Amino acid sequence: MSDSAVMASSVRPATAARTRRSFRRPWMLPYLLITPNLLLFSAFSFFPLLYAFYISFHDWSLIGEVTYAGLANYRRLVADTQFWHALLNTAVYAVASVPTTMAGGLLLAVALNRRMPGRVFLRSVYFLPVVVSAVATGIIAAWMFNEHYGVINSLIVRLGGDRIPWLSSPAWALPSLVIATFWVRVGFCMVVYLAALQSIPTLYYEAATMDGASPYRQFWKITLPLLRPATFLLLILNVIHSFQVFDLIYVMTGGGPGFSTTMLVQYIYQSAFMTSEMGYASAIGVVLYVIVLGFTIIQWRVSRQSENVL
Amino acid sequence: MTNVNGTGTAFSRRHILGAGLALSAASVKPLRAQAPVSLNFAVWGNRAEEDAFRRLIAGYTAQNPHVSIRLELSGSSGQLYQQVDTRLAGRQAPDLVRIQYQQVGRYAKAGAIVDLSGHLDGGLAAQFAPALWKAVTYRDKAFAIPHHTDTLAVYCNMEMFRRAGIELPRRLEDSWRWEEFIRIARMLKDKAGAPFGFACAWQNTAAYRFLPFLYQNGGKLLDEQLLQPQLSSKEGLEAIAWAQSWFADKLVPPTTSIKTNEQTQNLFANGTIGMLVHGDWQIPFLQDAMKQAEWQVTYMPRNVSMASDLGGNCLAVTRDSKNRDVAIDFLRYATNEANMRDFCVAAGFLPVRRSLMDTKLEYPLRPDAMQVFVEQSRTIPDHLAATVTLPDFSRINTKLGEQLDLAFTSGQSPKDTAENIEGTIRSVLKG
Repeated sequence: MSDSAVMASSVRPATAARTRRSFRRPWMLPYLLITPNLLLFSAFSFFPLLYAFYISFHDWSLIGEVTYAGLANYRRLVADTQFWHALLNTAVYAVASVPTTMAGGLLLAVALNRRMPGRVFLRSVYFLPVVVSAVATGIIAAWMFNEHYGVINSLIVRLGGDRIPWLSSPAWALPSLVIATFWVRVGFCMVVYLAALQSIPTLYYEAATMDGASPYRQFWKITLPLLRPATFLLLILNVIHSFQVFDLIYVMTGGGPGFSTTMLVQYIYQSAFMTSEMGYASAIGVVLYVIVLGFTIIQWRVSRQSENVL
Repeated sequence: MTNVNGTGTAFSRRHILGAGLALSAASVKPLRAQAPVSLNFAVWGNRAEEDAFRRLIAGYTAQNPHVSIRLELSGSSGQLYQQVDTRLAGRQAPDLVRIQYQQVGRYAKAGAIVDLSGHLDGGLAAQFAPALWKAVTYRDKAFAIPHHTDTLAVYCNMEMFRRAGIELPRRLEDSWRWEEFIRIARMLKDKAGAPFGFACAWQNTAAYRFLPFLYQNGGKLLDEQLLQPQLSSKEGLEAIAWAQSWFADKLVPPTTSIKTNEQTQNLFANGTIGMLVHGDWQIPFLQDAMKQAEWQVTYMPRNVSMASDLGGNCLAVTRDSKNRDVAIDFLRYATNEANMRDFCVAAGFLPVRRSLMDTKLEYPLRPDAMQVFVEQSRTIPDHLAATVTLPDFSRINTKLGEQLDLAFTSGQSPKDTAENIEGTIRSVLKG
């Protein structure tokens, strides 16, 4: 037997014994189980996040050298009207798309929670855009909204209306995106609400019916309050999604016409890859991170307070 | 081995081909490095370009059996730059890249592509068109080798032209003046039933295709020395106002401004527009998509002078290449006279070697249309070529696109548009 083989044979039992001892310590098991996820999260999320902070204080064209810039990128950001325009656009988009999508999802969930023919098929149809690539849905949406050969204008004209310049008019481009987002995201909200609806015990409704509560009153007094955790979850997820929206808008409008649909992520992309200003793009990314983090913390506190009240 | 008649040894075509390949391989002068070498070659392009690149690679690897070259195909030039830039940041860029002349300065300035000057023969520069050799030169050193060029001209739907009773100019000197071009666009709408007169393919990162119109009006983006912006001149403001009027007068589809993903060649193919300002590389697509409809190509419109766009690409070796000598040898092979001619003929481009520029190439697909592009390429102003190949032109180009889009879609005045673009130009030129 070679030296290495001897060493290996003596090491293996020791390692095995250590592993066994580790598993005997209950506090170690969770850490062992989350280690793979933690490693992946660190490699693909946490480290890039820290690196973005680092780069935001530098000038970097991605293909050249990194040079220290201090707070120059942040100072430029404060004075950059395009950045504020993109931030405003993102906020308007979030305010317009999040409540409509959630309300639509809730209505669909309530409707499709009842026994009715074709229920499974309809659920699948509404959920389909969620599982299709955002680029594909963006291309389809761009065709649908095309001013000349799109199906939406074709319907409007057949009904006696005028063609709407959906994607070429600064006034209509953002509403087009909100409608497209509704189509893409409503299925996701519907599924979350459906799961929440099915977890509400039926005895609440039976008791309310016996007390003479109308279906409308049951919805407001039983369903809606008990859907609060799902609503909170969807609110957080949809707000984060609307602040991170990129692919749909990139495909549908490219941020135009003018700056009418330029969102924060679009502006980050443009700064990073079109003008090769990775430092400035990272500074905007840091601001976006702080906004999303702040919103999450506020909503989390509000939610916990609500739970305490209940 | 016996033949089908059983009379003796027979040599099949496969044997003859094999013997020929073996002989040609034996006769090829071996490169210094004979150990297996594998290169990655990043390009974008349509099917014809992809096929032409694959033939080029097959030819080279047949002569150099120890070399293998993997073609990496991107959907567009923009996608290629994103991928190559990201891989450069990770020190994993492909060995060889196809880049536009407008991008050479950016890559050379950052040291991302290799200085070829020490590897090329002294007389090579003189064999290429001076403007294009200058385009691949940064601080007097060549960082790429010109591969081909292309330019813009006007595609015309002949069914619509006949309906409107319009004749095409037969000579470059007879190309339409601006007023005539607009009059024809109106006639296509009014008499030929075209929903819109024309469209220009300047979407996304191609805002620089506005520049030919600026030069046609006697304007320039920068002064003679390329040190100061000059867009706010009378000629510059007129050119912006003229392009703005296309949208205001509904002569072009509103979806064909700059910040849009509209594919203008589709609008031409489906009859939405009667004319299309686009490049020669669209010939294969239109030939395929418009089998039932006749189309021709005519010259770009002109005002006080003629002008068209500097298009085309060159080939470069990245700093991450571990086999630079072989990669540079491939560049020399790809841009030699015979291979440049074959590539241009197969993919529908214009050659950039002087020996080929005055030769009539036998284009298999629409040679009549290609001839118009060949003639039009002689109208590319040297000053325009020098402007778009500045190292930081990509930043100017982004601003040009943003501001022109605001002028076309949001009614921003030509004066504000020009001044905003000039502001960026000043900061870019400053440093």
